Formats: sequence, C-alpha cells, structure tokens
Amino acid sequence: MGNLFDSQVEIAWCPGCGNFGILKALKGALTELGFSPEEVVLVSGIGQAAKLPHYIAANVFNGLHGRSIPVALAVKTVNPRLLVIAESGDGCMYGEGGNHFLHALRRNPDITVIVHNNQVYGLTKGQASPTSEEGFVSKAQPWGNLSLPLNPLSLAISQDASFVARGFSGDVDKLKEIIKEALTWRGFSLIDVLQPCVTFNRVNTFAWYKERVYYLDDSYQPEDRIKALEKSLEWGDKIPLGVIYQHQRPTFQDKIYSQIEEEDLIYRGVNFDDLFSRGLRLFT
Amino acid sequence: MDLNLLVGGEAGQGVQTVSGALSTILQRSGYFVFSIEDYQSRIRGGHSFTQVRFSTNPLRAALKEVDILACLNEETYQLHRRRVKEGGWVLGAVGNEREAHFQHFLPLNFEKIAEGVGNKIFANIVAVGAILGILGLDLESADSYLEEIFARKGEEIVEKNKQALRRGRDEVIPYVSSPLIEKTRRGNSSLLVLDGNQALGWGALLSGCQFYSAYPMTPSTGILNFISSHAKEYGVVVEQAEDEIAAINMAIGASYAGARAMTATSGGGFCLMAEGLGLAAMTETPLVVVDAQRPGPSTGLPTRTSQGDLEFVIHASHDEFPRFVFAPRDPQEAINLVIRAFNLAEKYQVPVIILSDQYLADSKWTYENLEVKERPDAPQFSSFPLPYRRYLISPSGVSPRAIPGLGKALVVADSDEHDEFGHLTEDLNLRVEMHKKRMRKKETMRKEVRLPYHREGKDLTLIGWGSTWGVIEEAGERLKAEGIDSGIIHFSEIYPLPLQIEELFSHVSLPVVVENNYGGQLANLLERELKLPFPFRINSYNGRPFLVEELLLKVKEVGKNG
Repeated sequence: MGNLFDSQVEIAWCPGCGNFGILKALKGALTELGFSPEEVVLVSGIGQAAKLPHYIAANVFNGLHGRSIPVALAVKTVNPRLLVIAESGDGCMYGEGGNHFLHALRRNPDITVIVHNNQVYGLTKGQASPTSEEGFVSKAQPWGNLSLPLNPLSLAISQDASFVARGFSGDVDKLKEIIKEALTWRGFSLIDVLQPCVTFNRVNTFAWYKERVYYLDDSYQPEDRIKALEKSLEWGDKIPLGVIYQHQRPTFQDKIYSQIEEEDLIYRGVNFDDLFSRGLRLFT
Repeated sequence: MDLNLLVGGEAGQGVQTVSGALSTILQRSGYFVFSIEDYQSRIRGGHSFTQVRFSTNPLRAALKEVDILACLNEETYQLHRRRVKEGGWVLGAVGNEREAHFQHFLPLNFEKIAEGVGNKIFANIVAVGAILGILGLDLESADSYLEEIFARKGEEIVEKNKQALRRGRDEVIPYVSSPLIEKTRRGNSSLLVLDGNQALGWGALLSGCQFYSAYPMTPSTGILNFISSHAKEYGVVVEQAEDEIAAINMAIGASYAGARAMTATSGGGFCLMAEGLGLAAMTETPLVVVDAQRPGPSTGLPTRTSQGDLEFVIHASHDEFPRFVFAPRDPQEAINLVIRAFNLAEKYQVPVIILSDQYLADSKWTYENLEVKERPDAPQFSSFPLPYRRYLISPSGVSPRAIPGLGKALVVADSDEHDEFGHLTEDLNLRVEMHKKRMRKKETMRKEVRLPYHREGKDLTLIGWGSTWGVIEEAGERLKAEGIDSGIIHFSEIYPLPLQIEELFSHVSLPVVVENNYGGQLANLLERELKLPFPFRINSYNGRPFLVEELLLKVKEVGKNG
C-alpha cells in the first residue's frame, strides 16, 4: 500500500532482517500521527540500522558512527517545529556514541531515539556489541565476549530519562503504538527495540524473543522510578515490553530559549544588518 | 614614550587581575597598551606573569626589556631580574639589595602592606598602586576600575582595594624624584583594548552566529565565555558539549538546520574534531572552527603558545576536500576574518578553520579606530525545483542549499558517498563525479583568498603568518633604523594559497621565514606549492611568543649566514 513516507531507495538489508519491522512501524506511526515528510528529520549514524532514514521520504542527516544524538539535539534546538528522530544500532548509540547518549539523558532534548538493538555488529560481520551477552562467541571473540551487556533501560531510568520504552521488531503493530507515544512525548524518549539479526546472531533469534517477551499491562505505573528500575532489570526468561518509565520535565530547548529570551532561531527573522550595527557598539 | 611593566607571582596571587587593572587604567589614561599573559596549567602556585607595555603610539608586540619589575614573590625576581633596563625599577621584598645593580630597588613587602588594609589578598592591588606611583599617574581611572570590577563583592571590598592602591602609591612616593610619565595624558575614550579571544567571539556575534558549541580547552575557552556572556543580547544558543566530538557535530547539525554555527578548541580538541571536519566537508555543511594553538604533541603545554598546527589543519581528516585556513594577525583582523569565514563557509558550503594561538588569544591590543571592514552576507535560502537535489552536480561545484522545514524540499545529507539527492551510493562513476564536484570548489576558492600583507625590502624579507605579524613588523623597523632594509610578507589567509602568489614571490629579497614551530610549516607549504627553496628559517617552539629583541638577534644571525 502506498504511503506518504515511501522512498524509492533500494533497501540494503538482509532478507528477513529485524530492521524491516522497525521501518514499517515508524512509517506507520508517522502517517497515523499526520506528519508530512518535510516536517520530519531523521538523523542516524553508521551501520545497517543507520541506513533506515534513506528508506523513508523525509529530511535526512545520515552522519557519523555514534554521532547522531549531538546532530539531532542541535537540529531540534535550532528549529523546534521539526520532529526529530535519531535512530541507529546498539553499537552506534551505546558503543561509539555512548558518551552522547549519556549526556542526552541529562539534557532532555525533545528528540526520540530509536535503537535497533540486535546485540551484535552486523555491518562489520558479527563482532560482539555493547549489548551482547557475556560469553557471546564471534570471530573477534572466539573464546567468548568477556564483558557484561549494557542495560540501556536501567541506565536511562537511573538518570531520570524522560521516556523509556522497549519494543520488539517482530510485533510491528505494538511497536508502532510505542513509537507513536514516544513521538508525541515532549522530552527525550528512548525506545530500545529488540531486533533479531538473522545473519550474525544465532542466539537471540525471533523465536528466542517470542518465547520471552511480554507486554506490560494497564496496571503498570510507568511514573514510579524505582519500580521502573526493577522492571528494567528483568531479562532472561521474561523480557518486558512497552513504556517502562516516563517523567515529564522541561526540555533542553525550553530551558535554553527561556535563558536567552527567544522563541526560536529560524523563524524570528534575524536582521543581520541591525545585529551588526548593534554589535559594533558592544564595547562603547 | 614606550614603557614596559612586568608583574609576576604565583597562580592565585591575582596576576591576571593586575594585568586587567593596569591595561584598563593605562588605556583610560589615554595610552596604547599591549599586554601578554604567561601562566602555568594550575590554579594555585607555580609562576605566572603579565607584561604590560604602553605608549603614546600604537603597539603590536611584546618587548624583552622591562622598565618596572614588580615581584609578588621571590621567583619572579630570580626569573626576570636580568630583563630590567639600566635605570629601571624593581619592587618587592625579594633578592638582596646589595647584589642589585639597579638604580631603583624598593624592597616593598606587598603582602605586609596589604595586611595593613586587612588582608594579604590585596597585595596585587598594592603593587598596582606602587606602579602607578612610580609612573606618576593619578588614581582617578584606577578608582573607577576598582569600583567596576569589585562592585559585585560589595562596598567594603571596593573601599579596601582603593585603600590598598593608595598604600602602594604612598610607599613609593618618597623615592620618586621624577615620575616616569611627565604629564598624565587626557583620557582618550575612543581607545579600545581587546584580546584575541574577545575579538574572535565578537566577530562571531557580528556575523550573526546563532549557535556556538564547544568543550572548554585552554587557550580557546575565552571565546566560549565571551559568547556566553552576550548570548542573551544577541540570541545565541550556546552549549558546552560533553566533548569536542559532540561540539563539532552539534555545530554541523545546527548549520544543517539553518543556523550560523561555530565551534572552537585547541589542537588536542581539534584532533577529536577531525572526523567531524570531514563530515562537514562530505555533507557540504558550512562550518567555522577556531583552533587556538598550543604546543603539543598531545597535552603538550596547555597554557603556552605555538604555531604547530598549520600542516595539521590543512590536511586534517582523511582523504581530500577543500577548506579555507585563515590566521588573523591581531584582534582587529580576527573580527574581520571571522565575518569573512562565515561568509565563505556559506558561499562554498565548506569548513573554514581559523588558527589562533595562546599568544593572540590572551594578548591585549589597543585600537584608536577599530576597523571592521567586513560585512556579514545575508543567508541565501531560496526555493528549488522538486524533487530537490541537495548535491546537484554543478559547474562551480556548489549546489543550491535548502534548509529542512523551510519549504517542501526534503534535505538529505549523507556522510557516505551519495547521489545528487543525498542518498548513499556504491556507483563508482558517480563517486568520481561527486568527488570532482567537491574538489572543483577549490579553484574558485583560491580566487577568493587575499594576497598576504607585503612591504618590499631590498636586503631581506621576513615571512610569517598569523600572530607573529606585529613582532616581525617591529623587528623590521629596528633593522631599518640600523640600516638594513627589511621587507615583510605576512599571511593571514593561508590556504588555499591565493592565485597570484607565485608572482608575488618572483621578486623577493632574501626570504627568512619566521614561525613558532619546529619544522617551518609555512616554509614547507611554500616550497611545495611554489617549487622555490626557503632555506632561511627562524623557528621557536619553547612555548613563548617572539619578543622584539630576541627576533632581532635571530634575524641578524641569519643575515650573517645568508
């Protein structure tokens, strides 16, 4: 079926890749929320997941490995009317871009970060990622990965991230609903999406996830930070999906514009001549 | 009249306050001031000093010889006593009077005198008072300066500082038979004192810079502080990034979204930015980056000066792409070059790198009629045929730039090699066309670059770039006074080398290239591009700027060999 966000670019993912579910869910969410392509900016890093923006008709900034968040933060700050989504894989967001991820939690920019978490490096063909299980065997870690997997949800909740959710790319409809909630959330929203790598991850497969994932029901209160932290630690036989934590707090752009007493940078109609002549009097 | 003051002490004793006070007081008394700061990478202890030179004529370099040396500690005396002129003054409870050959040695214990006012922390202001006493300046300008800078700390602190100032002056008065300044000049309110960091920040504000992201790094931090302090007046979003990588990526994101954006750092931070520089080049996003150089490699000497990054910034980031590299010779030119940098970054959609250094960043210059000749161009965003091709392969290499959200155009930018629409491609023929398109800009860019400042000299030509202009000029004048006709070629716009550069170098007397680095990086660049030898080089890499007398000696040495 035709969609406003359809792109003509040929998709470079493996057949059956978990990325397809995320692409479909994101396009569905954008359409159902009534956005038009020119209002949307998709920012990504490098990796198979980071190619996604090319497969959606929208504004795109496909930048450097690990660096999508600083770019997304700046785009949203300069033009708050844009819907800004940063998306990439677990290696890009939590490994190469770990520091930016950490500081985005503090700043609370009004962006949505979608992480395609397949617990493996796909594009470089199969090395352990920051979220790979301890003992994960690969060409680069032939005797098993020595490190514990990063828990992005616990990390985000511990730092009072504004909105923290987990989705599963094997369930497009439910993922679409989570994305819709994140996109309409005012503040930093993180969706860690479990996304099986059909080529390089023989452990965490679709079947493996399907056996374990379950959705949080209506009785779950995502406003309780301690409960959310407990929930985020659940992993193994049962893996919770849905909005795990939410806490509304002022966004980066709210705070910075109130400090400099401006509404925005782009639409306010800067008179550069006036600014210049005003500036010349700065030291007099 | 041309006098040179040196005040030194430990970090924490308020040497920088002394520098600010003396510079401002002398400027308000109608003098041209030139000051430099020399400090260590620490918050307390060690040795730091300021040199404040002032004159009735404009100044542009620092001198070695000192007229008044004020020592807040013993080390200052030991390190600098040999620089005091015959007939000069030494102030401070230091050394041994008998060993002093100076005409005027006043063993003032600044701290003890300050305790008389209530606290030894006023010792630095006592020293200022003593210096003003020897100079014979009235305290009017000093009082108003103290009121301004200490107002926030309350009336009592202001009063105590004023008392400290008077105690210092009163201590020296009995020994001053004739003040160094015969008559206090009438205040010249049009004199403006400016350091390099303020100038770079001011240039950004004048350009309509709307977004500034940076990670603090000496000696560039002053730019961040300056722009932040004016962010509200000029509507600038300023963000202290988590690292230099974030800083440059934020600036690129802001520029992509339509804001004028800048970042600044020093060499080590620029290393981290190298990846982002390539991103700006590949996505053809306008960007202005300041590198305030300090000695390296690695952490090097954080608070010292260097011109060691020229070859690095010309080549930084992998593979090839066009860029501009500018290096202002003084704060006035820094303002103008930042405006030019923003204009050219937008016109060619390329990164522009401005090389400053610790010497330029921290030295204060005085201007009577500051000239800001450059004007910021209005941003050019228009509508385009759809579907929009962000990287349209054009004859000039520059493609029409649209801004996301401002029209129907979908703006697709990619760090991968891409097609005209911005989508990643593996088509290698297209790759060749895209690379040629980007590189084509360099030809037109060369035409934009202005020729270096040039004054002919029959005997020799001193060649330099960036912050060494003033000292080269003054050394050249002294050579002339000694009968050596010395010319100068000084680059402020270094890369790409301007078109008529070969012609300019076709008739130059003995060229001597003066640089604050080991290898002679400008000389190397000129050799490579002009296919001419530049064997005579004066290189200093001890972390300090050239002083006039030192450079003069070195030029004479080269003269002997050349």
